[in-house]
Amino acid sequence: MSNGLTLRIDLDSASPAYRQIADGLRILLVSGKLTPGSELPSVRRMALDLGVHFNTVAEAYRTLAQEGWLDLHHGRGAKVVSRDVPAASAEQLEEFDHRLQTLIAEMLAKGAPAAKLRTTMRRAAEELES
Amino acid sequence: MNAEFVMLILPLIFVAAILQFMPLVTRQGIFFSATVDPEFPRSSDGRRLLRAYRWQVAVWAILAIGLAIVFLRLRPALGILAPTLLVVAGSSFSYWLKFREVHKRYGQRRPEIRQAELSVPATGARFNAWLWLPPFAALALTAVYLQLHWSQLPERFPVHWGADGQPNRWSSREPLTVFAPILIGAAMNLVMLVLAWLFSRLPRNTIMRRITVRLLEVLLYPLTLTFVIVALMPLGLVVPVWVIPAIMLICVAGLILWSYRQIAAPALADAAPDPQSDSYWKAGMFYYNPNDPAIFVAKRVGIGYTVNFANKMCWLVLAGILLLGLLPAALGILAAKK
Repeated sequence: MSNGLTLRIDLDSASPAYRQIADGLRILLVSGKLTPGSELPSVRRMALDLGVHFNTVAEAYRTLAQEGWLDLHHGRGAKVVSRDVPAASAEQLEEFDHRLQTLIAEMLAKGAPAAKLRTTMRRAAEELES
Repeated sequence: MNAEFVMLILPLIFVAAILQFMPLVTRQGIFFSATVDPEFPRSSDGRRLLRAYRWQVAVWAILAIGLAIVFLRLRPALGILAPTLLVVAGSSFSYWLKFREVHKRYGQRRPEIRQAELSVPATGARFNAWLWLPPFAALALTAVYLQLHWSQLPERFPVHWGADGQPNRWSSREPLTVFAPILIGAAMNLVMLVLAWLFSRLPRNTIMRRITVRLLEVLLYPLTLTFVIVALMPLGLVVPVWVIPAIMLICVAGLILWSYRQIAAPALADAAPDPQSDSYWKAGMFYYNPNDPAIFVAKRVGIGYTVNFANKMCWLVLAGILLLGLLPAALGILAAKK
């Protein structure tokens, strides 16, 4: 069960809604707040709660299923499954590095203090690893 | 001033009073359905706009009372319907003008934050089945009491009263007529029970969902009391004609006040917001959002739910509600013809 957990998205964000849903769920999965065996709401229920199209949620669930996090069953919802952590390829690591640099540059350009940035990143990494 | 006239204008005054109060029954940061600074309603401009709207509602109410007087003499059948329509339509027009002004001159934009519960099954508004037991038990006990005192029931008793309190329709002592108030009461309770259960299962854990379920549960008590009183009248229970409308009026006013305090309270940090943008609210009253798959959405102003007019299914729902509303009237006409 995943009692008490909520997912928030911002439709004004530049990031598409399906990616925000997938990203939000991935954070909960990696941090262990959603454990194997947990049931997620059906596509219909999640779409109605968020006020977005059914396909938007279905796309997010498919993305996570392809990554090995979810087992999708037709007409019901999605179940979190145990997953072996794959070894990231050199190309993937390079891409993550690039995305991280882009994000940090954007944050610094918008005036986020470097010290705060370091603390935030360290805390986020610790929370997700624990 | 005769009793009929008083009974005609009292509901009009009540409707106008509710319409005057209604713009306040909304979340903080919403004013005339437009998103504003939470402090704006208390500013001089906010107070001026509310005052102007209230004056306009008062004018519509005076016009409606004038119309009621005319209809009372010419077409008594339309005596209540046409003036009520006038005050509601007129006030809605005034409301729309205020929405437009607030949105254009003082409107703000908030981020479109949406939230979903991940618990399965989703936590519904607490549907308290025990609250439903006393009204059904009261009706059942009344039925037993009537059955036990069957011999004391008169052969002929009144079943309908005019605005002056005098009976204008009579019925004979038959099971169907004696138990009719109990049966109608039980049917109404059942409809409300089903509605409350359905509302408790609606998506989006909003304050409005909790309020709507609770309202349906509480409203059942004065309704049941009304049917119990009517059912016991043939046994000689004398209740002044104003008692039942007064009970209903006090309950409805109390429930509106309670709902207002719940809705206008500062939002909880974890409260799930409904879609925020003013652009979804046509004329400040009609929700139209093609991207939202929901059929029912919480009203932005007032109490309860409205439909998403961009969802084609809403027309089916509206047709069903209309049919349900017309059914008693059609049955009444058929019964009168027989």
